[in-house]
Amino acid sequence: MASKKLRRTGVSADLCERLKRHQLETCQDVLSITPVELMRLAGLSYPAAVELLRLLSKACVPAVSTAWDLWRKKGELCFSTSLPALDRLLRGGLPRGALTEVTGPSGCGKTQLCIMLSILATLPRSMGGLDSGVIYIDTESAFSAERLVEMAQDRFPEFFSVKERLLEMASRVHLFRELTCQDVLNRLERLEEDIIACRAGLLVLDSVASVVRKEFDTSLPGNLTIRSNLLGQEAAILKYLSQAFCIPVVLTNQITTHVGEKVHCPQWNQADVSTEEDSGFVTAALGNTWSHSVNTRLIVQYEDTERRQIVIAKSPVAPFAVLSYTVQKEGIRLEGNENPESVLNQGTDPGLQPIRVRTGFIYNLSQATPSTHQELPLAAERSGSNCLI
Amino acid sequence: MHRTVPSLPLAPSVKVKLINAGFQLASDLIDMRPLQLCKEAGISQEEAVEVLQMLRDDGQPHQQRAATESLTALDLLHQEQAVGSIVTFCSALDDALGGGVPVGKTTEICGAPGVGKTQLCMQLAVDVQIPVCFGGLGGKALYIDTEGSFLVQRVADMAEAAVQHCTLLAEDTEQRQALEELTVEKILSNLFLVRCHDYVELLAEVYLLPDFLSEHPEVRLVVIDSIAFPFRHDFEDLSQRTRLLNGLAQQLIQLATQHSVAVILTNQMTTRVSNGQSKLVPALGESWGHAATQRLILHWKGLRRLASLYKSPSQMEATIQYQITVQGFRDAPDEPRPTTASSAVSSPSGNHSKRLRMEDLS
Repeated sequence: MASKKLRRTGVSADLCERLKRHQLETCQDVLSITPVELMRLAGLSYPAAVELLRLLSKACVPAVSTAWDLWRKKGELCFSTSLPALDRLLRGGLPRGALTEVTGPSGCGKTQLCIMLSILATLPRSMGGLDSGVIYIDTESAFSAERLVEMAQDRFPEFFSVKERLLEMASRVHLFRELTCQDVLNRLERLEEDIIACRAGLLVLDSVASVVRKEFDTSLPGNLTIRSNLLGQEAAILKYLSQAFCIPVVLTNQITTHVGEKVHCPQWNQADVSTEEDSGFVTAALGNTWSHSVNTRLIVQYEDTERRQIVIAKSPVAPFAVLSYTVQKEGIRLEGNENPESVLNQGTDPGLQPIRVRTGFIYNLSQATPSTHQELPLAAERSGSNCLI
Repeated sequence: MHRTVPSLPLAPSVKVKLINAGFQLASDLIDMRPLQLCKEAGISQEEAVEVLQMLRDDGQPHQQRAATESLTALDLLHQEQAVGSIVTFCSALDDALGGGVPVGKTTEICGAPGVGKTQLCMQLAVDVQIPVCFGGLGGKALYIDTEGSFLVQRVADMAEAAVQHCTLLAEDTEQRQALEELTVEKILSNLFLVRCHDYVELLAEVYLLPDFLSEHPEVRLVVIDSIAFPFRHDFEDLSQRTRLLNGLAQQLIQLATQHSVAVILTNQMTTRVSNGQSKLVPALGESWGHAATQRLILHWKGLRRLASLYKSPSQMEATIQYQITVQGFRDAPDEPRPTTASSAVSSPSGNHSKRLRMEDLS
């Protein structure tokens, strides 16, 4: 819209020529200058300049709808995560048309969650899925196709007992490996065609933080601004794609240590808070501006050695809430949420929410158990460990 | 009448020719006929007609208009009382703002992420539609969303809560009649939604807002959520950004006064590092601080959400606590009702106090 050429908007040919001499060729160029500047550059009187701006505005302006139009398409507003307590809090699931970020320490389950959502997106609508393809942009090479298949077989054993369905599901997940910031940005700018070709209903970017943190050392002057601009551009493109195609976008982020006074955290008891007053705490990476850009922020963190927690830290529809889960063969499983301590009507700044990291390691010698599921012909030998670290 | 020719809003080439032909003041031109002007100045016939028409609009009627259009402060007081304000359903905030968000002015809401700016905007978009007999404005709302945070399920919840709130308040037949028409469906249908993806679309929308408001004269609220996001990452030339933002601010305040709407702008926060300390300040730069008439900053303090009125021509600076509940933007539970000098009559809802105040003055 904004890059529409002037001559297609009904502006007279000689006016187009006059504007071209000043490098004003698209609607965006002309709308980015003030009326007085336009007067001077185009040689128009003030009312004529304002009229030209209005004409170009009509060519660029988005359509007006009402909230009622949106409400009537209620069934298409959310993507169910198949975790009932989470869906309930999010009023249906992850919002389609907005960005959802999952952030947390390493090994907590962010990629597992992304893989699980990828499987769900390919399921038919009768099972709560989107019956569509998935575009998975992987910057850490953490995506494992074997894990995808294993999770699908464990989570929906009857459905995926038919081998063809398994193959079809795997063929619907389109993986793109990008390893630098510029690659990621280029890929996003050309993603429209891929989304249409793959008939994608879910876009996953795992992870946003890794490429950015590799390339930008924010202690150097100027780098922070460039990084913020890059992230802002990525966020703007992702928001445009998610809204234009009405698909959910899931991003993963990492953690960083915030040095400063400790922010009170609703779900921790006083005993935790009183120790370590000023030593700094761990929080979501990429800064305050990025916290503004994402629409929903889910923090995954460690509760104790076995269990982990999903914290809804920022959401336009959900209150601040904490849910416990574990990572199993079938993906994420919510457990221990009989008395949810949610709906506190409280919260903290989602950019400063402290995150619990893993403090101890348990080394278990577990027995190797033979796999009882169908093996795909080309599957490699699996190692015997049962717990997923 | 004594305007010099270079100051007229004409095309530069025309002005140069007029000056070269010896015309210095607007009064030199006023009695000319088009063909004569055409010959003397060497401009085309259409340009001559344009010059004379502009002078005619600019000239005589302007003086007469100047006499009749001046407003006394008393007229303004009546106007301000008549036009009202939009309640936020958080009575502490309504009191601090002097009744609610004022119509005819621009209000900026800054805040850290997740603190409740979008919630407040959605609440106001619902509250503007409360019927007049309940103390509301009975108007429609236009929501310009640049971030994608507008989720309609939340608005539906807030609308449902507002309808229930009014149901509890309904006393006389007029109110009960109005209540029959107040449904969630109607509230959602009167909420216009525009989704802008970049600053060009936002600028285009604001250029066309006067037309939109003329076509929909019942609109009483325009929300831009947020004005910061499209302007924060696309500009290398920050002075161009400042020029565009200033132009935008001027257009919005003009809209607010001419079409009698309340304009709400949401801003983000940015980190400013000074002396090794970093603190959060409103984004978009220092000069943007002058743009809005009123500035409200929402921030976290520990577990609590606070709202501070930082800039207002008529109200004192104040900080109040609020919370976001399932029903929407509300008072914090254990705060005692603040006693401020500006509150006329305090009541659990802001509605009754407004009705009383208007009757007091008539």
